Amino acid sequence: MAALPYYDTPAIDALNSQAVALLKLFGERGYTREEPAVLQPAEIFLDRSGEEIRRRTFTLMDPSGRELCLRPDLTIPICRQAVQDKRKFPARIAYNGLVFRHQPGEPQRPTQFFQAGVELLGLDDCAAGETEILALSIEALRVAGLSDFSLRIGDLALFGALVDALALPAQWRARLKRHFWRAGYVETLLYWLGHGDGKPRLPGNRAEIEALLDARADAPMAGRSREDIVARAMDRAAEAAALHLDPAVADAIAKLLDISGPAEESLARIRALLKTAGINLDPQLAAMDARLATLKTLGVDPARVQFTAHFGRNMEYYTGFVFEMWARDKEGPVQIAGGGRYDSMMELLGAKQRVSAIGCAIRTERVLAAKIFAGGA
Amino acid sequence: MAAITLAIPSKGRLKDNCNAWFASAGVTMEQTVGARGYRASFSGFPDVEVMLLSASEIASSLLAGDIHLGITGEDLLREEAPELTGRMHLIKPLGFGFADVVVAVSGYWIDVATMADLDDVCAAYGQTHRRRLRVATKYAQLTRSFFAQARISDYRIVPSAGATEGAPAAGTAEVIVDITTTGATLKDNGLKILDDGVILKSQAQLAASLTADWSAGARKACETLLSRLDPSSPLYAALAPQLR
Repeated sequence: MAALPYYDTPAIDALNSQAVALLKLFGERGYTREEPAVLQPAEIFLDRSGEEIRRRTFTLMDPSGRELCLRPDLTIPICRQAVQDKRKFPARIAYNGLVFRHQPGEPQRPTQFFQAGVELLGLDDCAAGETEILALSIEALRVAGLSDFSLRIGDLALFGALVDALALPAQWRARLKRHFWRAGYVETLLYWLGHGDGKPRLPGNRAEIEALLDARADAPMAGRSREDIVARAMDRAAEAAALHLDPAVADAIAKLLDISGPAEESLARIRALLKTAGINLDPQLAAMDARLATLKTLGVDPARVQFTAHFGRNMEYYTGFVFEMWARDKEGPVQIAGGGRYDSMMELLGAKQRVSAIGCAIRTERVLAAKIFAGGA
Repeated sequence: MAAITLAIPSKGRLKDNCNAWFASAGVTMEQTVGARGYRASFSGFPDVEVMLLSASEIASSLLAGDIHLGITGEDLLREEAPELTGRMHLIKPLGFGFADVVVAVSGYWIDVATMADLDDVCAAYGQTHRRRLRVATKYAQLTRSFFAQARISDYRIVPSAGATEGAPAAGTAEVIVDITTTGATLKDNGLKILDDGVILKSQAQLAASLTADWSAGARKACETLLSRLDPSSPLYAALAPQLR
């Protein structure tokens, strides 16, 4: 695929008829189509999505100096509109359109591609929402003519609950959760927590901290309040003492994060490791069992469902269950769809309260390529 | 017409240092009369045209392939072309124009000494202010890749054209990434460099554009010039295989 793709007649016809079939299915399931503008205000992406999306976003300046971008995904503009319109929930929205991504260092990858997808906003029953979206994504791939695919699943809530169960200062728990989506880094932090030293750098009492600040009264506050700095400085001093993880627990978690394999087997290994570490995550594990059962009733072979503990998708807005569908094209394995739960997005975009959200996006051009490969092989 | 163009900074200490370096190799520059002082030549090198440009123009002209060789700060080169491969070749660090590109925060932030601290503060700031902490800089590319390495994502870059060190006091940004030689300007503005906040130790570099038109004549002229500027090291031998 070229960096700047040109669709010839057969290619665009095939994509169009596939899109018609997908949107028809989404419509029949109660998902109505919407279409955000291709040009979006840059800040909604720059402020809300992770570095991975940001460094791939094409930004431009309009002649009046306003910063715009070519939409790098459709989820954020759709959610933003739902917030602005004060939409009634649950809302079921479908889309099909181009998204644009800069591909630094990978000149052979396309800078624009089609995505067809659905968003389910504000359904309080999380398990029901997950079943609905999983079922619809799988049905959509089958409608698009692809039945030979595998699944990769994970759950960011599982990791969040695991971190919450650790005897660590709140700041460190937040830090571990914040970085879950970065492969490798969490392991480094864990190793440091289990095996590093925790020497305090700041005095531990308020008077000494305040004296340090008074001595620097000429320096700018730079957007932070004095109280904020004092509080964090005291936390830092206190946590240096508390900042230690039983090395056995740290190692058990590192091992747990490394688990990747057939889902049922992986969950059994997780249970065993948690037992060693003395951590109870039964509700989260039960939710994962239920998802596996759902997949079975949807006719997905359990052997083709991989559970990857360290699976956060490279977009940090996901908050819970995440999944990807994979197939093969002539180049090798290729991700054809992906989705998950992103419960904090609506609030970040201005919603007055938490709105549950789950969605899925299908890479339709890749589905076609995978179909051609499967047919030709 | 000359076979290759070499650009050097048109003013300031960088220009003086360049001239001194040329002189030490026995190469003397002659300003061309009537061209308002922006063109020059080396006596004895009729195939080399010397252009005097601003330091940042030299970086962008190298990237565009408008000039063959240029001398400018490594900070500007790396900012202009984050991935140098296939675009530019750094021929030789010249031992002058030393400066560091650094991450600096207010000295009032006594609880922030490292990038990991900054990461915590960025996340907390995002939650309390509902917008990202701002980093003022003219080095957007360098900042982006350094913050990515430090695993920080809750921030936003504010382009700064000049006097970046004043941004935290002016309230236009909370953190800055800027160039410093002695750290005195930062200190005067109540700022401190983070312990692990040195992004790049920069100095003046003699660099070649890999996208310029490298005709046989240009290669020959380049080889002759480089062997004269530094007879002791095989500068051209390292460059030649990369020229297309």
